[in-house]
Amino acid sequence: MPLPAPDLRPYLEELERFADGQLSAAEQEAFEARLETDPALYQAYQQYEQLTADLRWVAGHETLYQRLLALDQRLDQRQLALSRVRRRQREQQRRWGVLAGGLLLMLLGLWLLWRPVTPSAANSWNRYYQPETALSDSVVQEAQRPLLAEAMRLFREEQYQPALQVLQRIPTNAIGQDTLTYYNGIFLLSQNDPEQIQAAQPFLRRVATQASSPLAGRARYHLGMAYWRNQQTTAARNTLRAVSNDPRNPYQAAARRVLRSDVLKEQE
Amino acid sequence: MDTPQQLAEVLTSLRVGNQSFLVQFYEQNRTLFARWARRQHQLDPPAAHELLRTVLVEFYDQVADGRLTKVPDDVRAYVYGLADEQVRAARTTARLPAHENGRRQHLLALFRTLGLDCQKMLMYFYFRGYHFEKMAGKMGFANANVARMQKAACLRKLYELRLRATV
Repeated sequence: MPLPAPDLRPYLEELERFADGQLSAAEQEAFEARLETDPALYQAYQQYEQLTADLRWVAGHETLYQRLLALDQRLDQRQLALSRVRRRQREQQRRWGVLAGGLLLMLLGLWLLWRPVTPSAANSWNRYYQPETALSDSVVQEAQRPLLAEAMRLFREEQYQPALQVLQRIPTNAIGQDTLTYYNGIFLLSQNDPEQIQAAQPFLRRVATQASSPLAGRARYHLGMAYWRNQQTTAARNTLRAVSNDPRNPYQAAARRVLRSDVLKEQE
Repeated sequence: MDTPQQLAEVLTSLRVGNQSFLVQFYEQNRTLFARWARRQHQLDPPAAHELLRTVLVEFYDQVADGRLTKVPDDVRAYVYGLADEQVRAARTTARLPAHENGRRQHLLALFRTLGLDCQKMLMYFYFRGYHFEKMAGKMGFANANVARMQKAACLRKLYELRLRATV
C-alpha cells in the first residue's frame, strides 16, 4: 500500500522559489544539498514537480478552451453584425423597390391622363359628316306617294334597312330616278357599315355625274365622304375639293371643314 | 490543403504550446462543422460549436499528452471522427464516477473553481511562460515581486483545494 503523499505546504514556498529560479547561488547550493539528504524534502519536491507538470497541462488545456470560447463569441458577433447589415440592405432594397413602383405607377397615371388622344375614325366621322335629312312632308305629298312617305319616316327613325326596302318598292314614275338613286345611296351610307358604304358609292356616283340633276352637288359631297369612310383618301380629297369649290353646293362649308382638318392627311 | 511536412510541423508547434493551428481551424470550420452536426446529430449551432471546441481541446490534449504522435493525414476527418465518438459516448455512457477521473482531469475541475485572476495568472506562468515582470504588466500589479507572491498564493490555493478534495 503506497504511503499517503506528504503535505506540501511547509515546503511550498521554498520549492517554488527554487523552481522559479528565485534563490541566490548560495541558497540554491544549500537547497540542492538538502534535497540529497532530506527524504521528506525530496518527496515533497517530487510531488511539487508532478503538480506543476499537471498544472502546465491544465493551463494549456484551459488556454485553448478559453481562446476558442472567445473566438466563438467574436464569430457570433461578426455573424450577427453581418446579418444585421444584410437585413438593413434588404430593407433598403425593399424601400427603393416600393419607391420605384410608386414612381412607375405615378408615371403611368400621368401618361394615362395626358396621353395624346388620336381621334378614332368613328369620332372623326361623327364630327365632320353632315348627314342628309329626309324629304319634308310637303315635298313628299303623302297622299300621292305613300311609299315614299313611309320610306322617309323610317329613315327619320334610323331604320335604314326597312327604309331601303320600302324605297325599292316605289315605282319609278312616282318620283324622279335621280331622287330614288340618291336616297338609295344615302340610306346605304347611313347604315355606317363598310360594306353598305361601299355599296352606296355607285348610287351616289351615278347621281353626282348627272350634271342636270339638282341632287348632283349633294351626291358629290356624300360620295366624297363615303370615299373617306372607306379610306380611299385621294378620291375623297378630290371629290370634296370639287364640293368646296362649288359655291352653290349646300355642303361647301362642310367639305371645306373636312379638307382643312388633318383627318384626310392622317390616313395617307 | 496542408502538406505532410506542414502537418508534421503542426504537431511540433502544438507541443511547444503554439495553438494557432487549432484556433485557425476553428475559425475556418465552425460554420461547416455546425451544418454537418445538424445533419448528423441534430445539434443546433451553439451546441455544435461547443462540440467542436471540446473536440479541438481533446485533440490538443492528445498531442500534449503524447497520445497522438503522428498527425492524421486528414485532420478534418479525424476531428469529425472525434466529434462522432464524443456524441455517441454522451448518448450511451453515463458520466464517469469521480474516483475514475484522471488526475489531470481532476486538477482541471479544481482549476476551474479558482477565481478568474488566479486562473489567468497560472495560465500565463505555466503555459505561456511569462516571467514575473511581464505578468505584473499584464495583470496590472506594481512590480514583479507582487506578481510572484500572487502566483504563489494561487498555487497554494489550488493545492489546498486538491488536498481538501482528496481527504
